[in-house]
Amino acid sequence: MPFFIIFLLLTLTYLAFSNLTDLYIFYRMIDNGFILFSVILIMVFTGIVILRYLALMFFSIFKVAIKTEIQMKQKVFHTHLRVSIIVPAYNEEVVIGRSIISLLEQTYPNMEILVVDDGSKDGTYRNAKRYEGHKVKVITKPNGGKSRAINTGIAHASGDLVMVVDADSRLNHDAVGLMVQYFENQNIAAVAGSVYVVNQVNSITRLQALEYIEGLNMVRNGQSFLKLVNIIPGPIGMFRVEALQKVGLYDHDTFAEDCDVTLKLLAEGYSVDFESDAIAYTEAPEHLLDLIKQRYRWTRGILQAIRKHRGFLFHTKGRPSMTLVLWYMLFESIVWPFMDVFATIFLLYITLITGVNSLLFFWWSLFTVLDLAGALYCVLITREKLSLVFYAILYRLYFIGIINLAKIFATIEEWFGIGMTWGKLDRKGRI
Amino acid sequence: MNLITFMTFAILVITILTLVFGVLAYFLYKIRESKKKPQQSEGSYEEILLGRNSELLFFKKEISYDSLVLNEVL
Repeated sequence: MPFFIIFLLLTLTYLAFSNLTDLYIFYRMIDNGFILFSVILIMVFTGIVILRYLALMFFSIFKVAIKTEIQMKQKVFHTHLRVSIIVPAYNEEVVIGRSIISLLEQTYPNMEILVVDDGSKDGTYRNAKRYEGHKVKVITKPNGGKSRAINTGIAHASGDLVMVVDADSRLNHDAVGLMVQYFENQNIAAVAGSVYVVNQVNSITRLQALEYIEGLNMVRNGQSFLKLVNIIPGPIGMFRVEALQKVGLYDHDTFAEDCDVTLKLLAEGYSVDFESDAIAYTEAPEHLLDLIKQRYRWTRGILQAIRKHRGFLFHTKGRPSMTLVLWYMLFESIVWPFMDVFATIFLLYITLITGVNSLLFFWWSLFTVLDLAGALYCVLITREKLSLVFYAILYRLYFIGIINLAKIFATIEEWFGIGMTWGKLDRKGRI
Repeated sequence: MNLITFMTFAILVITILTLVFGVLAYFLYKIRESKKKPQQSEGSYEEILLGRNSELLFFKKEISYDSLVLNEVL
């Protein structure tokens, strides 16, 4: 596979040189102000994207190296910190049983499980009650949203640490133990885990599987080199209770409560780390409209969280790391989708109007090769299938375009303050 | 037609289709969600109970004439 990517790069370089005439024709056309402005904009954007990509990949490699060294030196496995695992559940009767079983199979000894039924209208409470015992406690409350359910769980928790796990997720057996070790460092307030797609049943879910390991897990691994992970994922995250209480627990005013609480911790000066071997297997949307629904909520929720903390955007003296995180998030949530779609439409226009066709090809090839290289790296350091690497071609060809369009529409709706609901997805029970 | 021209044509067609499809899919999603909303406005038992300051709710079973006839037949 690495040879295939090198071969692709060499072929592209050869093709670029053999098409210099095309590029010269295009260069001669740049006397139009709009074209000149667009070309500069796209070149700056492309440069930033490539730099971001390479920086995250190198940070990720450094993190893996450091982690391996620490694991080799570490001789003591800490178990003195008590963990309360909170499972907020709303209409999760299909998956709640399997989720609790995966938590009961954890190898970490010092823990309790709190299932918080958030006023479900189905049999979630009844199904969860079957597992109640000395380790599992089931609480029910009127429906009030995920953040309130988590806060209820924290109020009933007896642990020094709380782990928040989505009801549609299944954890690997040593996930809790691996994450607890980070909290020996007193400045660590939270640790994120890896999220893998369990239902790889069609091309949409396989593309999401690739996106999860490349776009989410590799990015978090890179961010954790600086201990600045910006989102603790819903399916798997562990928090220090004392730190959560200091920032006022979860707030209820955004649709991305996990992102909001992480930003609150970073704003308080805490560090947030990532454990790549603590894995949550989760169900991804299997249909396109469900995927759009999920991304719509994520985008608007993240924008709401950024707006809440916007004071840090230009206030670099107070907390420069927080400023960096917020600008990074703004770039990913707004600049990237808008610029990606703009560049695509601009290159389509150039190709159709002038007949200079190599620009579109090279633009697409550049990002596809980056995606292929990233996908290969991620597949090699994770336990995902090698066949996912080939989905990088489809990922760039149509998947990311549709996702970016959904993000743009969500951003516009958020800008105009159009009302929205939580948008719960129907579970298939594949965990 | 050389390789780049062919590839560009393929990318061009797929990209245009993706853009059109992406916009259509978004509006389909919005239509689907707007149809779902009336169902979501129904409150759960706990929500209604909370709204009535925990005053107990009593339900009356309504038996339709059709079901009554059916029961008699059975």
